[in-house]
Amino acid sequence: MDNSGEFKPIERIPHDLLREPLIWFFAEHYRHRDVCARLMALSQSVIFDEAAMRDVYVFLDQDLPLHVIDEEDDLFPLLRRRCEPDDQIEKVLGMLSAEHANDMMDAGAVKSLVARALAEQRGLASFVEARSIIEPFCQQQKRHIAVENAVVLPIARHRLNEADLISLGQRLAARRGLDNPFTDAA
Amino acid sequence: MIRTLLENNMQWASARVRAEPDFFRRLSAQQAPEYLWIGCSDSRVPANEIVGLDPGELFVHRNIANLAPPRDMNFLAVLQFSIEVLKVRHIIVCGHYGCGGVRAALDTQRRGLIDHWLQPVADLAHRHEDHLKEIADFDTRVNVACEHNVRAQVEYLGHNPFVADAWRRGQKLAIHGWIYSIRDGLLRDLDLSVERSRDVDRLASRAWFPDG
Repeated sequence: MDNSGEFKPIERIPHDLLREPLIWFFAEHYRHRDVCARLMALSQSVIFDEAAMRDVYVFLDQDLPLHVIDEEDDLFPLLRRRCEPDDQIEKVLGMLSAEHANDMMDAGAVKSLVARALAEQRGLASFVEARSIIEPFCQQQKRHIAVENAVVLPIARHRLNEADLISLGQRLAARRGLDNPFTDAA
Repeated sequence: MIRTLLENNMQWASARVRAEPDFFRRLSAQQAPEYLWIGCSDSRVPANEIVGLDPGELFVHRNIANLAPPRDMNFLAVLQFSIEVLKVRHIIVCGHYGCGGVRAALDTQRRGLIDHWLQPVADLAHRHEDHLKEIADFDTRVNVACEHNVRAQVEYLGHNPFVADAWRRGQKLAIHGWIYSIRDGLLRDLDLSVERSRDVDRLASRAWFPDG
């Protein structure tokens, strides 16, 4: 909900951005931050906002796992192949991969809580555990995204070549059941 | 139920004939695949299906952890037949992330005969132990080792006498290293392709990790 009290769904990323996959990652991170802000607000409210909760639930259930695959099975392996010793990338990627594994577990706990709230038609603040589950998850997400934006994506911009970016964009699209963004029709 | 498989088969054959009446007549007349696929036995990596090829278009060898072992008679027979008789143009070594064989080679649990089969993967991991242990997350370590295992098989193949002889004869033959993710059904080209001995030497001198 915004200040007018009207529900605004989580923004979708325009498909054109698949042609610039690193920008897609930045945009996806922006959405993650937005979802965290929405979750924090929901965790402090006893009002049952079904639309907002369902929107966040779908994000955690579908978009977040896809994003982890985008990074774990695509961007990070590409970086491992392209980076130079000076980039000292392995430690950062190793840390982020370990965080991804934890993120998925923490996201599972958040999802379960939201599912319960939806089933019982209660605001999240009415669950005593809401704050202790949601707040650490959101804080961790923000830290994680900050490292990716500040370290990983700038190195990727520097190291990945044109062919890497095209194949990366094609796989981001395919993973979401979308057409090849680099064909003329796209 | 086992009978379901036979029923499925009847439906599959019938659908193929409906779509292309000559399909099986054409298929039985000759086998001329352009590709040899060396992949993992994992049931979630169906070779023909993931590359969209029909029966007859892909010669397939699968084993646990997609190995190209230089002393395995089964593998060597497949390799020689595919190069010298079928005259395939491409050999694809395809690993997959999260490979159970690679995972088993990286842990210390004893499983019996499979440990011997996976010894080359364990040896490879041992050679790169210092680097691999820097990767804190075990799943990621396994995935990196899966990629390295593909590279090692491409290099073994590049040094195999059947392959070397084919290149010496001037036969067109390229070896590629790919990896598949079961999580999204997509293949990744690992940029390991070689089509002459010189390429293999160049590949062998390439660093295995970003930091050397």
